[in-house]
Amino acid sequence: MSTERTADVATAGTSAGPVLTASGLRAAYGPTVAVDDVALSVGSGEVLGIAGESGCGKSTLAAVLSLTARPPLSVLGGELTVDGERLDLSGGRKPPRTWRGGVVSLLPQGAMNALSATAKVGDVAVDVVRAHRGRVPRGVALDLLADRLDALDLPRRVIGAYPHQLSGGMRQRVVTVLSTLLDPRLLIADEPTSALDVSTQRALVDLLRELVRRGLVGGIVFVTHDLPVLRAVADRIAIMYAGRIVETGPTADMVDDPRHPYTAALLSSVLVPEPQVRRRRIGGIRGAPPDLADPPAGCRFHPRCSLAMDVCTTTPPVVGDAEAYATCWWTKDHPDEPLERSL
Amino acid sequence: MTRFTPRFYVAAAIVAAVLLFGVLGPLVFSGHELGTVVGGLYDHPSGRLWLGTDNIGHDVFTNLMYGTRTSLVIGLVAGALATLIGVVVGTLAGYRGGALEEALMGVTNVILAIPSIVVLILISIALGTRSTVAMAVVLGVTSWPWTARAVRAQAASVRTREHLDVARLSGAGTMSLICYDVVPYMLSYLCMAFVLQVSSAVLNEAALSMLGLGPSGGVSLGIMLHWALAWESVRTGAWWAFVPPTLLLTLLAFALLMLQSSLDEVFNPRLRRFLRRRRPAATPTAEAA
Amino acid sequence: MALTADVTSADAAAAEEGQAASTSLLRYLARKAAWYLGALVVAIVLNFLLPRLIPGNPVDAIVSSLGRGGVEGSQLRAIHEHYVHEFGLDKPMWQQFLIYLGNLAHGNLGTSFAQSPASVSDLIAQALPWSIALQLPAILIGWIVGNGLGAIAAYRGGWFDRGAFLGSLFTSSMPYYCLAILLLYLLAVAIPVLPPTGGYSFGNVPELSGAFVADALTHYWLPFLSLVLVFVGGQAVGMRSMAVYELGSDYVNYGRGLGLRDRTLVRYIFRNAMLPQVTGLALSIGTLVGGALITEIVFSYPGVGTLLFTAISQNDYPVVAGLTLLIAVAVLVANFCVEIAYGVIDPRIRAANRGER
Repeated sequence: MSTERTADVATAGTSAGPVLTASGLRAAYGPTVAVDDVALSVGSGEVLGIAGESGCGKSTLAAVLSLTARPPLSVLGGELTVDGERLDLSGGRKPPRTWRGGVVSLLPQGAMNALSATAKVGDVAVDVVRAHRGRVPRGVALDLLADRLDALDLPRRVIGAYPHQLSGGMRQRVVTVLSTLLDPRLLIADEPTSALDVSTQRALVDLLRELVRRGLVGGIVFVTHDLPVLRAVADRIAIMYAGRIVETGPTADMVDDPRHPYTAALLSSVLVPEPQVRRRRIGGIRGAPPDLADPPAGCRFHPRCSLAMDVCTTTPPVVGDAEAYATCWWTKDHPDEPLERSL
Repeated sequence: MTRFTPRFYVAAAIVAAVLLFGVLGPLVFSGHELGTVVGGLYDHPSGRLWLGTDNIGHDVFTNLMYGTRTSLVIGLVAGALATLIGVVVGTLAGYRGGALEEALMGVTNVILAIPSIVVLILISIALGTRSTVAMAVVLGVTSWPWTARAVRAQAASVRTREHLDVARLSGAGTMSLICYDVVPYMLSYLCMAFVLQVSSAVLNEAALSMLGLGPSGGVSLGIMLHWALAWESVRTGAWWAFVPPTLLLTLLAFALLMLQSSLDEVFNPRLRRFLRRRRPAATPTAEAA
Repeated sequence: MALTADVTSADAAAAEEGQAASTSLLRYLARKAAWYLGALVVAIVLNFLLPRLIPGNPVDAIVSSLGRGGVEGSQLRAIHEHYVHEFGLDKPMWQQFLIYLGNLAHGNLGTSFAQSPASVSDLIAQALPWSIALQLPAILIGWIVGNGLGAIAAYRGGWFDRGAFLGSLFTSSMPYYCLAILLLYLLAVAIPVLPPTGGYSFGNVPELSGAFVADALTHYWLPFLSLVLVFVGGQAVGMRSMAVYELGSDYVNYGRGLGLRDRTLVRYIFRNAMLPQVTGLALSIGTLVGGALITEIVFSYPGVGTLLFTAISQNDYPVVAGLTLLIAVAVLVANFCVEIAYGVIDPRIRAANRGER
């Protein structure tokens, strides 16, 4: 399946093709494989959300995609194609420095603490620009930053500020601007809204949308455990469980008609302040995520799944096409039956 | 789960060895009484006298054992005293806060500002005769401030944790709260502070003794060095008079500091760097997507 | 849009910030000055009080030792009275204290008991330059080399780090005088390469001649070496720990994620790790006077340490008190300067005072 995607890219070869195509991504902490053969694609101007419980491997995936994996995390294999350019990650090969920030950029978790306490925002921006474009005069780099701040409706005063002089939400937005200063093709946002209050979350999401709309980034991978945010920001969603992608598809379709029991269980355990939820019981998912050092055989969710069958101990098939699929035996047998009623 | 590194075991072994030497040595190597003249002045080491004699004809090896014992006793007593005072002051200040904290920290800061060697010299001179216990008390009473300051910071941070609120709600009194909820939280830090206090007490006692202000009438490692320096052992090449106490002092100080830093590594994982990692998964598993 | 509201309130806050900055700095300095003044008072009182608490009259001891030297009885009494009067020992304590303070204000630290009529200030002035000449270069060189070593070790990692760390840990945890003694034994006794004692060869008179300076230098190496090695070790350990800690920081990871060069990241780490190291340097300079007492004693180096050693052995209390006061004052002044510098350099300290965080 993933090889078909790469072939598509090769024959298409236009800038309207997917921003990112990743296949065979494997990464481990020592002997524990945290990301197990993951394949993704992000279209141009698209926001792909990656959701899952804590410990499912999504932050690891974010580190792998943004090329910032470092010991004890080791990348075992995989390949990334960004805007047609291929990067082979197998064999522990180090990616070129300029890819980070220039082609793929990271918006880190806890971005509020991502800036050095003794560096002004403007100085960091100058360093970033100079790291990618050689000896650029300070004024030119600062102008770039100022233009970017104006375009995104942020105050110019942050240029001369130290991190502790800015509020948490402002720091988050400043870091977002720094991450996208060089117009990277792909922005990996790792839990950007986790530590923010709701109104600041909204401001950040609006900022991200604005970046995509203006073409300052080609596409965004939005990693989070917060499903309701994804409903507002993501065009497509991929659900991760125990290091694997179990379902992916357009947001609206997945929310209305999930094809994997785990997705359905996740959706039903989300507390959303909407009227129709009032009368429904919020269920949790019994059990706990598996130990990745010794995952269950076959479908990794089957010990917790209320629809599990004997055949689930063997590797589940991929049901669907490259754009929208679920890896589940039950779905294969009941392709048209909605999951919510059977749970 | 705390994991002890090899460094910890090495340091603990050395400290234990020195302790045994000082405490049990005189019983095991019973040969010569302390303070008896057994030979000439600065006799060379021989089969009978393993480390020769010092400037008055006493056996250096015997001096070494008793000297280690004195230094250790002073170190342990002073260290315990300093840690105790520091913990009490720091916990009270950090936990209570308010005016009490300001006052206690004010006193602590003033004492901290004045260099300890100055106070030690002045107090030691003021005392007519200096017994071992008196020295230990003086050392303990002058070196608690830094422990108090650090403990207060820890206590202040513990004060706001949830398990304290739970304890308070269930009606626990202040003393009980401090004993059962605050102190156990800081236990790891207290261990390290105690080790540091002991090592600093041993070294301070040695420094004072070398200046001439050591426990009068006794033998300690520092006093042995004082005699060696005051009585020309260097110029006459009588290395056995000053090298053994130096080595022992160095060993003790080094082992205590290594103990403290390895405890630090155990309790603060971010400093761990040299732990051997298990070999990463070399072959991909057979499962295919 | 919510962002515009943020802008206007932020501008107002920025204007306020500028005004508050200068007053808060002054307030910070004033508070610190008050504390240090208090510590100074305590130090002076202790210095005055403690030697006078010694049981027995020190003058009696001196006079009796003079008497053993064969001085006549009536002369002894005259000398005794002279000393008692000169040191003010016949007056009540508070009067003595006032006399003491008055003398201090004039820079008069009294007369030495043992080497009278030499004044304490003269004796100290003779010994002090030797101590400073020994320690200042040792501290500076030790700081530079040690920090560099620590930073490189933290960055390189691997065997270099392990070796450098253990080596530095060894030299820094060894008491500095023990290293002095060991070096003395190895390089001056076992293998007589360098002279074991003194600041200059016996019989030479201190003068500003080429020959004397050369001679003094050969005597300089051993004490200097013992101090430098310990400083390098201490700085390296501290710097390496800080750098390792910083290397695991979020901003380093993020900086890598932005594609910043390693050079740039090292610069950030340095700036964050440097502040405590600079503080350490300033504090070490403050301990210049009393920092290497035992080392000097070990080598019979004619500095403040040997002066203290002989003064204690001779019960020369004015000299001892003078030296301890000098050491205390030097440390207090240095600490105070460091606090000032910290408040000026580190914006977070001022902000914390203002309640921004």
